[in-house]
Amino acid sequence: MGRFIIRRLLVAIPTLLVIATLAFALLHATPGGPFDSARRLLPEIQKSIEARYHLNEPLWRQYGRYLADLIHGDLGPSFQYRNTSVNELIAQGLPVDALVGGLALLAAVLLGSLAGVVAALRQNSWLDYLPMAVAVLGVSIPVFVIAPVLILVFAIELHWLPGGGWSHSPRQLVLPVAALACPYTAYVARLMRGSAIEVLHSPFIRTARAKGLPERSIILRHAWRPMLMPLVSFLGPTFAGVLSGSIIIETVFGLPGIGRYFFTGALNRDYTLVVGITVLYGALIIAFNLLADLCYAWLDPRVRHAA
Amino acid sequence: MNAVGRGLLLAAALLCACQQHDRGGAAAPTLKISNVLAADQTLVRALDATPRTLDPSLLTDIPAQHVTDDLFEGLTSLAVDGTVIPGVASSWQVSADGRSWTFHLRPEARWSNGDAVVAEDFVYAWRREVDPKTAAEPAPSLAPLQNAMAIIAGKLPVSELGVVALDARTLRVVLNAPTPYLLYLLSDSFMQPLHRPTLERFGDDWVRPEHIVSNGPFVLADELTGNRIGLRKNPRYWAADTVRLQRLIYLPFEDRSAQVTRFEAGDVEFTDSFPGAQYHWLKSRLGDQVISGPYLGIFMVGFQMNHGPFAANQALRQALSMAVDRDILTQRVRDGLYLPAYTLVPPLPDYQAPEPAWAKWSPTQRHAAARKLYAQAGYSTAHPLRVELMYNTDPDNRANYEALSAMWRANLGAEVQPYNEEFRVMLQDLQLHKPTLFQDAWIGDFPDPLTFLQLFQSSHPQNYGQYSNARFDALLTAAGAEPDNAKRVADFAAAEQLVDDQAVCLPLYFYASRHLLKPYVRGFQINVQDRNLSRYLYVLEHSGS
Repeated sequence: MGRFIIRRLLVAIPTLLVIATLAFALLHATPGGPFDSARRLLPEIQKSIEARYHLNEPLWRQYGRYLADLIHGDLGPSFQYRNTSVNELIAQGLPVDALVGGLALLAAVLLGSLAGVVAALRQNSWLDYLPMAVAVLGVSIPVFVIAPVLILVFAIELHWLPGGGWSHSPRQLVLPVAALACPYTAYVARLMRGSAIEVLHSPFIRTARAKGLPERSIILRHAWRPMLMPLVSFLGPTFAGVLSGSIIIETVFGLPGIGRYFFTGALNRDYTLVVGITVLYGALIIAFNLLADLCYAWLDPRVRHAA
Repeated sequence: MNAVGRGLLLAAALLCACQQHDRGGAAAPTLKISNVLAADQTLVRALDATPRTLDPSLLTDIPAQHVTDDLFEGLTSLAVDGTVIPGVASSWQVSADGRSWTFHLRPEARWSNGDAVVAEDFVYAWRREVDPKTAAEPAPSLAPLQNAMAIIAGKLPVSELGVVALDARTLRVVLNAPTPYLLYLLSDSFMQPLHRPTLERFGDDWVRPEHIVSNGPFVLADELTGNRIGLRKNPRYWAADTVRLQRLIYLPFEDRSAQVTRFEAGDVEFTDSFPGAQYHWLKSRLGDQVISGPYLGIFMVGFQMNHGPFAANQALRQALSMAVDRDILTQRVRDGLYLPAYTLVPPLPDYQAPEPAWAKWSPTQRHAAARKLYAQAGYSTAHPLRVELMYNTDPDNRANYEALSAMWRANLGAEVQPYNEEFRVMLQDLQLHKPTLFQDAWIGDFPDPLTFLQLFQSSHPQNYGQYSNARFDALLTAAGAEPDNAKRVADFAAAEQLVDDQAVCLPLYFYASRHLLKPYVRGFQINVQDRNLSRYLYVLEHSGS
């Protein structure tokens, strides 16, 4: 197992290098530069600014400089926020996304799994139809509709909760977490229902039933692990996704997460900020996929033995 | 952001439908406001974007300027109605030729750490601004100061800048030419003083809340990039006894719809703007809380004068301009938010641009004349003008161009196809002079015709249409050197007449500033520069929402 982890981590290095290179090349290939603005700069000023950020050097040298900094963990200065480094922006934004995204995924896993398993156990009853109908709605209504509706109802009309903002008050977390959790909960519910039905119809469960085991112990002792397999493969990349921020949730609720920086960074050609967040996202994807693979081994003896 | 906007609109429409049923669209029915000052003088203001820096010498974005207007004060400042008033300087004299100004600094002006604000603080800040090493984007705004442009170009040392501290409280400013708008310039961020010891000690980090030393009505208390900027009253400000707000919170938004939502939720009390397309709906819903007024900006369509169908075809440009029904555009498409424009320069206190005679004609008369010019230009129904119109990807803009295209088709038979490009792609194409018909807009730096007219000077970097006219250039140069204001204004009027007669651009409407303001927040007055200093604002006692 140790060797497996080391091998995966070693493969991660060239992968991240490819990601950084591609992001760097694509971003520099887009028309327009970070210091183009509605007010055109004087050529003299443009030159001074480019010299300050080494943009006057040949691209290969800029790339070399970027990689050298990257290896030292320095993602460079942000071009759009003049006195701030990309590391600082990520250090500020990541905890926000981790908290909001983590809580949303936790709620999604708990509620979605419960609804999915109950629906599978009571297949074709109202306990199946009702949650699944709601789940179809949840999957199909986009977050950019759910979020404003939640604000309108709970913040503007009822005045129960703040409509956004970030000052570490748990009340401010309720609406963004709920809005972000909605589609995930719905998806997890559908996923868990399918998975549970498949597992409950598999031969080893039939054997357990034939042995006369009560339904409760079939589920709690035998069925739950294989049921979680699809959920684990879903959660790996999804968690990496929420950690790197949800642009819509952050914009609508005014949260200082990194998704918003990524979006405005791309519009403003903030090269370092966008490449930095892309590399971070790549690293998170690799890390969580590795974690998901480790979970497989723990959940499924077949994977363990194959390894 | 498109998606966000659409979602908000949909949700808004849903709510609007329910509300009209419930309470006939009445605004804030439960809010009770009394006439006494609220005990808690805290105000939450929204910003249209996250400020890119709070360093007054470096900032180029309007949201940052709102914050630094509260943190710093220049030699002059702005009154609540936007007119210029004494700031750190209590008085000044101008030499007869209008080129040498002597400012007397008030002795009670203090930095937030207690140091006196001295003339040397201005010299230091302005020299830093024009120093090529600083790479300050707004540096060319100091162009009226003697030698500024040569210093920016690296041809002269910063010590040659036309500013001298005669003593701690006297500052001499030497200009290239009389500059009547100087007093407005002096109130701007890039002319505000800097506390040299702080900058030298902390370098780029000097603007952080733990280090910053400022001289305005407020000081920076806390800042979290992209989230909030907290200010508190500066007790050392020389006019601190007139400032009523104790705390001020700026919340940056990347999306205008989100400002509206948070305003309605009561989290924001004064928005920086709102989506223009929501004006009508907001007005019916929030009534007097929706505030708009003239803003020093023009929205227009530019012509490429160097190549393509509009080059050397004045009749065609005029035909296109006369075929646009600006009243329909401003009243129907933009819901009456903006004022129709027939001239390049918006109305100013000392200057009224000469409007073309056809501005007063009936639509039928105007369309007939436009068709005649269109035919004269060599086009007809059988041989229509086919051209593309480039604009910036912004949902707020789209309706304008759809309407223009429809007007040109109906009134002339021209086939104008609008297409959009992302902002920076558009800028690059403009710099390469690619498009022949394009979106153009300008926000004036100060209330003076020069800021608009210079756009068409042949040497101006922003002259995307490549208009070049020796007489126009000569008129602007003459106006620049003219000490007599009446003659100066006459030169500007002649220059403007030239660009309007030749239809060098197609003015559509003058901008409007637009805000949402809670009725218990007072001390606000609309002004053309849309600079609303928080030192004048205060909060009345209120209950309910």
